[in-house]
Amino acid sequence: MPFTKYTNLDFDQIKTSIKDYLRANSDFKDFDYEGSNMSVLIDILAYNTYITSFNSNMIVNESFLDSATLRENVVSLAGNIGYVPKSRKASSAQISFNVTTNIDTPTLILKAGIVCVGSVDNTSYTFAIPEDIVSNVNNGQASFNNINIYQGIFLTKQFVYDGSLDQRFILDNSFIDTSTLKVYVKKTNDVNLGNEYFVSENIFNVNKNSRVYFLSEIQDEKYELKFGDGLIGKKLGDNQDGTIITANYIITDGKDGNGASSFSFSGTLETSSGTIIDPGTVVITTNQSSINGDEIETVDSIKYYAPKLYSSQYRAVTSRDYESIIKKIYPNAESISVVGGEELDPPEFGTVQISIKPNNGSFVSDFDKQQILSKIKQYSISGINQKIVDLKILYVELNSSVYYNYSQISSEDSIKTSVINSLEKYSKSSDLNRFGGRFKYSKVQQVIDNTDNAITSNITKITIRRDLQPIFNTFAQYELCYGNRFHINPQGYNIKSTGFNISGELSPVYITDTPTIITSEDEISDSTDSGNIFLNRPQSINAKTGILSLFKLDSNGIPTTVVKEAGVVDYEKGEIVLGTINITGTSTINNTIEIQAFPESNDIVGLRDLYISLSIPKSKINMVRDVIASGDEISGTRFINDFYTSSYSNGNLIRE
Amino acid sequence: MPMAIQRISRSFKDISLSFEPHPITKDLPILKNESAIRRSVRNIVQTIPTERFFNSLFGSDVRSSLFEFVDFGTALIIKNQIETSINNFEERINNLIVEVNPNPDQNSFEVNIIFDIIGEEFPRQEYSFILEATR
Repeated sequence: MPFTKYTNLDFDQIKTSIKDYLRANSDFKDFDYEGSNMSVLIDILAYNTYITSFNSNMIVNESFLDSATLRENVVSLAGNIGYVPKSRKASSAQISFNVTTNIDTPTLILKAGIVCVGSVDNTSYTFAIPEDIVSNVNNGQASFNNINIYQGIFLTKQFVYDGSLDQRFILDNSFIDTSTLKVYVKKTNDVNLGNEYFVSENIFNVNKNSRVYFLSEIQDEKYELKFGDGLIGKKLGDNQDGTIITANYIITDGKDGNGASSFSFSGTLETSSGTIIDPGTVVITTNQSSINGDEIETVDSIKYYAPKLYSSQYRAVTSRDYESIIKKIYPNAESISVVGGEELDPPEFGTVQISIKPNNGSFVSDFDKQQILSKIKQYSISGINQKIVDLKILYVELNSSVYYNYSQISSEDSIKTSVINSLEKYSKSSDLNRFGGRFKYSKVQQVIDNTDNAITSNITKITIRRDLQPIFNTFAQYELCYGNRFHINPQGYNIKSTGFNISGELSPVYITDTPTIITSEDEISDSTDSGNIFLNRPQSINAKTGILSLFKLDSNGIPTTVVKEAGVVDYEKGEIVLGTINITGTSTINNTIEIQAFPESNDIVGLRDLYISLSIPKSKINMVRDVIASGDEISGTRFINDFYTSSYSNGNLIRE
Repeated sequence: MPMAIQRISRSFKDISLSFEPHPITKDLPILKNESAIRRSVRNIVQTIPTERFFNSLFGSDVRSSLFEFVDFGTALIIKNQIETSINNFEERINNLIVEVNPNPDQNSFEVNIIFDIIGEEFPRQEYSFILEATR
């Protein structure tokens, strides 16, 4: 029977099987000719079958979270296991400003809505607040300090609850940042906004008096509000809080709004009696440029995190549970590392160490840390302490000499730009930029070589760097972990730093190291034999640790020791410990001391809470002409003299 | 003993789309041989390209020429279109002759299609129709 193949999704194949069937089972003959009437009927039958099988295939695919492709189906399936996808997130900035007024009013109200305009890449973006902010007026001046503004347009939507079962409360806009959504319920005659209702993601601690609403994403990335039924969540109605629902929210451009640093005021200020005032010129101080704007959660991300959150069942037990729960309570997390205290060195039993890499930033603010810790308490096991530690970024820097055939390129700069661009692209890949990431040396060399046909080879040296953020004018000890074994040059020059100032010393000082050489037992059996070739060789060196010293350079570049024993370096563990020291300043503009080391292995691992990042701006790309490949010379004698690159580090004392 | 070979006569049999049952037998009408092929030729000429599912080239685009000037130039275009489409989609005929005569007074074209059926003892077939813009 030709009809056994039910899986056909191809019109022509279905048509062929119908023809095969007719060939065997009827005395019609004309089905093979396209012009025949029979052919018209076969086409209709085949088309019908085609549409049916496509539909069934689509329906089955869209019924499972793994195979669904349409966003609304993925969202709906994730909803079945209690997952609410993250909305678009408005970029937020923090500003302060003062307003001077000669109107006699006890307070000034900055109205919800647009506050100021900022620009990113020559595009203007409006920034708004979702709620009124009140400030007291003292001597004719009102200060609005540290107010958080959100990129986007402030909108209000009002619904009237009519008591019918099928009424839906749908916010008509896409691109809503649901974290700015404020919902109020009031009675018809109420003047103010009424009682605020809060979003609830599950029914923990929700009873018949809880003023909560549930939020779900529906078609076209819009959101629907659902209110309680009088058992789970307070019911709407005239005999309750009222029937007028007001939803205020901000629709945003997401991550496009990141990076605005200067703002011009365009908000509305009102006196306590409701008169709008003209504030004149308002100078806005930016405390924090706009950051953390993000797009709506992608379908892939929903598919990844929804089952994880479900399997953790809102309980933080394993590190994977923490990963999904933190992602939920702090949507801005890009990557999360959770290490049990027993794996730390030294072990800290009963603690869980959490590091979070936020989107578009390096550090989680103290306020956010407190929020995360207090929220995670309700999910975690009693008796376990969570600790959020700051992200420790392990920078990998390249010093690459790239050989190119100059007969194949237009300019050296253009090929250098291409190399930097392809490295930039690699630096954003998922090999790096995550906890537990690994910098793969051979991959990077390939990336450089494959940038352009003109590149003939590259010699790339790797350094690893950590930035020490000193506490100024305080005696303190510092410990930096690199998580990777250091390469040991027995003469030192392994650890290099940028300059910094210490109390009691005027010129900047630098860190250097001296390996503690342990010479092994003399294994040469017959040292009296003058013909023994091993006799005059240096004995094997067995350095595991070294001493860190501080030195300064005079105007001629001659080093002088300032502190002989300033700390220790453990080459095996990849750890630098600076003893008690009072640092008063640094030579770098961002108040850090950059300390570099040479890794023993060119592949760098992000151990525990170390976050690997390929630092392209601090990497050096040197373009070198490959005179052999270009055909300038064949013997290689000039190459050896003028275009030679060592594969080992230089003997400089300080970091450049 | 060799199996008897079942011989199938070379004839053509197609269903009729009128779907009017036979007055006595109540069978659906059937088009045979030359009438089946004639019907097929008509289907090809009258189908607008893209009308058939997944076979967008099938048919002839004579309709798009109906609003042009009714002259010999347009007639030649229509003739070519009909010839091309029949040659492409009907392999049971040969010696195809297409005559298109413009009739400017009536704003129409008179089309005559003359062909032989391959391998059959049927007389030469002729099929005529008038192409006219109705709106």
